[in-house]
Amino acid sequence: MTSPASIAPRGLAELHAAAAAAGLTVCASASWPETDADGEVPALAGFIESSFSPLLAEVAARALRRRGQPRDSGNVTAIVMVTALGDVTSAVRVAAAVDAGKRVSPLLFFQSVPNAVAGYLAVRWHLTGPVVCVSGIRAGLDVAALLIEDADADEALVVCADLAVTNGDRDRAAAILVTGPANRNGTEPHEL
Amino acid sequence: MADAPAVAQAPAARRGTGEVAVTGAAAASAYGRGTEALVSGMLSGQPAFAPVQRFDVSVRRVRFAATMPGLPDLLTEVTRAAAEACDEAGLSPSDRARTPFYLAIHGDPAIARAPEADQPGHGPGPFTAAVASGCGLAEQDIRCYTSACVAASTAIGDAASIIARGHTDRVVVAGGYLVECDQFALFDAGRVLAGDGQVRPFSAGRRGLLLGDGVGAVVVESLQAARARRAPPLARLAGWGRTGDAYHPVQPHPEGHGMARAITAALQRAGIAAGDLGYINAHGSGTGQSDPAETNALRLALGDAAAGVPVSSTKSLHGQSLEASGVLELVVTLLAARKGMLPVNAGFLGADDRCRLNLVLGEPLPATAEFAMSLNAAFGGANTALVIGLP
Repeated sequence: MTSPASIAPRGLAELHAAAAAAGLTVCASASWPETDADGEVPALAGFIESSFSPLLAEVAARALRRRGQPRDSGNVTAIVMVTALGDVTSAVRVAAAVDAGKRVSPLLFFQSVPNAVAGYLAVRWHLTGPVVCVSGIRAGLDVAALLIEDADADEALVVCADLAVTNGDRDRAAAILVTGPANRNGTEPHEL
Repeated sequence: MADAPAVAQAPAARRGTGEVAVTGAAAASAYGRGTEALVSGMLSGQPAFAPVQRFDVSVRRVRFAATMPGLPDLLTEVTRAAAEACDEAGLSPSDRARTPFYLAIHGDPAIARAPEADQPGHGPGPFTAAVASGCGLAEQDIRCYTSACVAASTAIGDAASIIARGHTDRVVVAGGYLVECDQFALFDAGRVLAGDGQVRPFSAGRRGLLLGDGVGAVVVESLQAARARRAPPLARLAGWGRTGDAYHPVQPHPEGHGMARAITAALQRAGIAAGDLGYINAHGSGTGQSDPAETNALRLALGDAAAGVPVSSTKSLHGQSLEASGVLELVVTLLAARKGMLPVNAGFLGADDRCRLNLVLGEPLPATAEFAMSLNAAFGGANTALVIGLP
């Protein structure tokens, strides 16, 4: 049996570069797909019809499992979601139902904003920091750096995902877990 | 669900040493365009909700919202508000060209019906660039926040933070949501809309929220930079806090732990005590679970002062404007503090023991509020608190 062939990640290099530019240290990272064994994104209970939220959850979980050392139980972790287009699949489904004069599934209401899957991650991994969703990778890492600098978080999980738009493309996602340059843990005198 | 950490475990909030001001503000809502229309509507105490005429709601359970007449265009309205805020701040074309721009929106309303090949052109990034271009702001330094009902307040907190640290002198922050058929259908499907056509925050008998048009913009600026160009501050942006509950994907922590930490961080950064607050513009969605959770957060963070400080949720007047809520409600808070008249918490039917607060009821309250706070919460357990101080 041969090992699954690796697939060049898209987004991960940009995340690493933006983290370096923001002065952040990368503790763990992951992407989707990583190998040709990454076919269907694993389903996520409560999220329907679109792979957007399951994709974010899967790549985030991979990065969190790869953390090099056990997380300090007191650490506050921010969640920063980055997406260029958001959950277009869900948006298109809703628009089609509306245009057809139909009602939409209540589950689509809950997944209509990226905050919902961020909330899922926060509960699943006990990430108690701020939840922020922005449209660009540089913005996402700048927000992460600011939250750490301000002691609103000790570390940040930055997750970047976008669905395939055209035929032949694939859903892509990447995630990194970052800390400040010296991993301050809020022990420095603050500047108030 | 997970147990959120207690407030006492939160790390002490840090901030840069620079003072931050708001030097321009603009808004549009169902009360009309401009801050004068907003003040007039707020102080009328008359909610702006009416049957929706903008699109077909015949298959919806609930048919009310707070909307401007006609079919306003989001790009046009947000661009107008951002430009008006820049005008009030007295920003020259060269000032604007150097000013970063943060926008809070759900997304480009056109994306869901665009041909697949055109969808990338309808992302939040291109939309934000179009607004920046329309009012002459720095197109190379733009950012779009899509974090639901804390999108705009998070953007304002981030702007304040980088200005306090001296990373930039000024950021223009805008947000916009205009009631449209897709979000209306989703909220209707989620059974969170108030079937009686009124939003009744913190009240017995409250039935839920109603959507409302909301557009707002503020110029957030270093106080030192504002003074250097002789621009009078409308208010100081004294404190900010953003936190997560880690309790539930779409419900707030019932004890308000996350919101309490946001309030505590904002007060720490403002360098004030709970008793210094003269007004709180609450998140106050008018839903069954959110209002008691917010009440608990206020009690937890403010202690005895929670019983005395006047509170209202102006969502009972202008409705819930989603990603734009944070900037619209900060402008409401700022205008109320400057006017010395606190808007009512409309729709109140009677006390709910789980929501015991000093609500502004009946008539606007004449009051001096040297410091006032605006609160927002969102799906994902996200919470924000912004504190303004009169200059």
